[in-house]
Amino acid sequence: MDDQGCPRCKTTKYRNPSLKLMVNVCGHTLCENCVEMLFVRGSGNCVQCDTPLRKSNFRVQLFEDPSVDKEVEIRKKVLKIYNKREFDFPSLREYNDYLEQVEDIVYNMTNNVDVENTKLRMDQYQRENRDLIQKNKATLTREQEELEELLLLEKQGNEQRRLEVLQEEQRQLQARRKNKQALLDELEKSQVPATILLAQHKARAAELEVEIEHQKQSVKPATLFSSGIQRQTVSLLPPPKIEEVLYKYKALHIETYGPLVPELEQLGRIGAYEEREREGKTTIALPQVATVPPTKPPLTHRKCFPRRSLWANQSRTPLVRVLTVC
Amino acid sequence: MKLNIEGLLVYFPYDYIYPEQYSYMLELKRTLDAKGHGVLEMPSGTGKTISLLSLIVAYQSAFPLEVTKLIYCSRTVPEIEKVVEELRKLMEYYAKETGERNNFLALALSSRKNLCIHPEVSALRFGKEVDGKCHSLTASYIRSQRHTDPNLPLCSFYEEFDAVGRQVPLPAGIYNLDDLKDFGKRKGWCPYYLARYSILHANIVVYSYHYLLDPKIADLVSKELAKNSVVVFDEAHNIDNVCIDSMSVNITRRTLDRCQNNVDTLQNTIHNIKESDAAKLKEEYRRLVEGLKEANVARETDVYLANPVLPDEILREAVPGSIRTAEHFVGFLKRFLEYLKSRLRVQHVVQESAPQFLKDIFEKVCIDRKPLRFCAERLQSLLRTLEIADIADFSAVTLISNFATLVSTYSQGFTIIIEPFEDRTPTIANPVLHFSCMDPSIAIKPVFQRFQSVVITSGTLSPLDIYPRILDFRPVTMASFTMTLARTCLCPLIVGRGNDQVTLSSKFETREDIAVIRNYGNLLLEMSAIVPDGIVAFFTSYIYMENIVASWYEQGILENIQRNKLIFIETPDAAETSMALEKYQQACENGRGAILLSVARGKVSEGIDFVHHFGRAVIMFGVPYVYTQSRILKARLEYLRDQFQIRENDFLTFDAMRHAAQCVGRALRGKTDYGLMVFADKRYARADKRGKLPRWIQEHISDGSLNLTIDETVQLSKHFLRQMAQPFRQEDQLGLSLLTLEQLESEEMLKKITQIAHQT
Repeated sequence: MDDQGCPRCKTTKYRNPSLKLMVNVCGHTLCENCVEMLFVRGSGNCVQCDTPLRKSNFRVQLFEDPSVDKEVEIRKKVLKIYNKREFDFPSLREYNDYLEQVEDIVYNMTNNVDVENTKLRMDQYQRENRDLIQKNKATLTREQEELEELLLLEKQGNEQRRLEVLQEEQRQLQARRKNKQALLDELEKSQVPATILLAQHKARAAELEVEIEHQKQSVKPATLFSSGIQRQTVSLLPPPKIEEVLYKYKALHIETYGPLVPELEQLGRIGAYEEREREGKTTIALPQVATVPPTKPPLTHRKCFPRRSLWANQSRTPLVRVLTVC
Repeated sequence: MKLNIEGLLVYFPYDYIYPEQYSYMLELKRTLDAKGHGVLEMPSGTGKTISLLSLIVAYQSAFPLEVTKLIYCSRTVPEIEKVVEELRKLMEYYAKETGERNNFLALALSSRKNLCIHPEVSALRFGKEVDGKCHSLTASYIRSQRHTDPNLPLCSFYEEFDAVGRQVPLPAGIYNLDDLKDFGKRKGWCPYYLARYSILHANIVVYSYHYLLDPKIADLVSKELAKNSVVVFDEAHNIDNVCIDSMSVNITRRTLDRCQNNVDTLQNTIHNIKESDAAKLKEEYRRLVEGLKEANVARETDVYLANPVLPDEILREAVPGSIRTAEHFVGFLKRFLEYLKSRLRVQHVVQESAPQFLKDIFEKVCIDRKPLRFCAERLQSLLRTLEIADIADFSAVTLISNFATLVSTYSQGFTIIIEPFEDRTPTIANPVLHFSCMDPSIAIKPVFQRFQSVVITSGTLSPLDIYPRILDFRPVTMASFTMTLARTCLCPLIVGRGNDQVTLSSKFETREDIAVIRNYGNLLLEMSAIVPDGIVAFFTSYIYMENIVASWYEQGILENIQRNKLIFIETPDAAETSMALEKYQQACENGRGAILLSVARGKVSEGIDFVHHFGRAVIMFGVPYVYTQSRILKARLEYLRDQFQIRENDFLTFDAMRHAAQCVGRALRGKTDYGLMVFADKRYARADKRGKLPRWIQEHISDGSLNLTIDETVQLSKHFLRQMAQPFRQEDQLGLSLLTLEQLESEEMLKKITQIAHQT
């Protein structure tokens, strides 16, 4: 840091700690005194590269490397024109290409590569996109919005915390004062011996301390809605389009590859119930709709089916419906 | 002996067992059964490691599908070796009992520095140098260059391993670091890569915390470990600090200067490559456009510079256009670097949050958040493309890019503090940018999420409930075990007053008080006269120790002490300290007796054990609070209060007491050992301090020993030492604090054992 100095008068920061270095559009440094001397008339040429410069364009050098100062200057100018946002592009890929293009322009301008053409390109772009540039100027990018929001939250949180701590202290102070006053009052009026009163007071004070400790421990976490309405971020994105296909009901169709399943009302008429009761097993193809609790192993692993009465007892939550044909 | 732990057959390689070990195994088994996390505190010297190992190994062989792997994390290399030795004992016992060799593969993993067998590389002294040299020999692009130019140097061990080693798995057995080296030498394979490759199918892996907690290393080594592993963090009382350190970045002026050199080198290299081999850069560019960053490129040796944790969705996205080409990226780095330089030029302390920093950086140098986020990733890709051999030189720019990625990824839990000078030397400009993590749960979160059981265990974890809070997880078991003792072999005493009734305390107001210093000196003098062999004394900080010792010298106390014992002092320098330790042990060994003056939180307090006559008494001068004026600490306390509802004072006391407990625990390393624990500060007598000591110390503090004078302390110590000096045989312990299998299985003992574990 100390070896930085003015290239013209050779003063360094080490010799003159208050040395102020200035930089102009060409990216070459001069100290403040030399600027005053050389640019008395308001304009002149750069000592190192002979670029015509104006005195009013001299800025205080922020960075150690003056070329970075120059680049940032140019970048700010370019970004004023090239201010498209991510949602101005149909895809991320195109946005990235655009970003790279911007970067190219900045690079060319900084390193004096093909300056004329680049300037022409910029002018053309500016003419073509005048409306969009104007529109985007007023709005922040999404990321910046997020940042702003975070900062706001942080500020609010800090403020709230400060207030809470303040209130808490106040409350404690009041409680203690009240306690002391109560003791004095009692000593004045009551007939009870002072030692007992003092002991009582001591116990009360201890209790109070415990309570305060307790309160302290339950520091409330900051709630989001305590301040009422949150600042809404105004998003300029169009409302998201729902592109999925709507749900359409279709009747369930089951391939049975066998005789048709009789309707429930018909079952009684066929007499399936009675027959089953009598013999235990039937030869009629009888569909059973059974509910099986999810914890039981799958039916295929069982050697024989449990009785009907068992089925009836089992849980009411039909999670798995199994169609079996005995 | 063979144990039955709730239906699980556990082989325990010793003939006797402590009751608390049995109880510990019970709790551990319940944790594993529930597939949850656990916090277990058991006193040091009661065989924590072997209980852990034998239970988990038994569990693994009983339920090989439920628990496939044990990942045992310890702190230092000697501790790792100790664990492996215990494991070897256990496996031998298994082989003897079952009569067959079981095919368990267990191995230790450490850095290249400890494992390298290449004659030139292993001769280097620093870990970073070894890593860099190794990388310059084994990186894939260097090896592919060798196809065209066979004269380039190579590491034959790695080549051999790459050619053959992957097909043949490491034969089953127990490998410590030396075993791995021997095996590597015999086969001609690189032990480091062999170990790294083998941990994927090993049953037990023993390594350091950092391989799991530091996101930069964990990404490389532990990425593919199976989900149904059990992770054990041993000696985990400092785990929150390890987590925080692994996520924090400190940037000094020197870092930036070195970074500047790095950037210049990058620029030149790009310039050269552009003239000679432009196709390479084009290829990289094309890849970045497509967003196929990682695919097929990351071969194991290349992924040397890993990025810190990134949200997955970002990794899948393509690199933003503004840093896509190499020149633009270097320009970007330059701007970022200049910005940091300008920030370091402050005259006063600045503290700000990540969003504030991001806003400022956008205003000053037009850097968006998104490219910052990709910075680490992009740099990695660039270094790989440029085929830079010696990556160790680029540590500065890597650090900066990691910082960029972290600062733009996390908006919460971090703070940026820029200090223009150190507090102690306000006239010397030494600007530092601390990017400090305040939330230890960020680093450890992936571990808790990924593995089914994580066990945190140590000798001092009290109060137990604070760890789940600051690490943000929900344990299924939290238990603290006491030590069952046949005789009370520890004697904690709290000395609150001197003989002249002056209050003893190290609090800030009485730091310089000559009366307190004199009384501390008297205490040490009196103790040196009655305690045999070694005494270890701990101070709260180096500065405090220096002050006191200087003062003692002036008052002639040191001279008096030296009539009784020799005095050794710990210093910040590691070599000096190890020398002092060696001489201290020598003096204890030959009966001269010695006193070691050391510092809480120092090297001695954390890793050195003073068994038997090496430490008959520990004296803790003062309460070892951290330096409370540090801004980083303040920010962390604030964060703890806001996020976890832990009050500043609670945390500070907790932190001080865990270090005090660590210090006094150094003296007692087993049940046959005995030691005095002298807490020389009035504040220890308070309930809030005393209550934060581990239970196994707390229950031996009687009300009578709360506020002693030096005279009383000497009396009590004499009595204690005379009692302890009586011969103590194993038979005295048997049945009480040491059990045979029959005794263990008796009804009343089982009942007693259930009381050992103290659930919280």
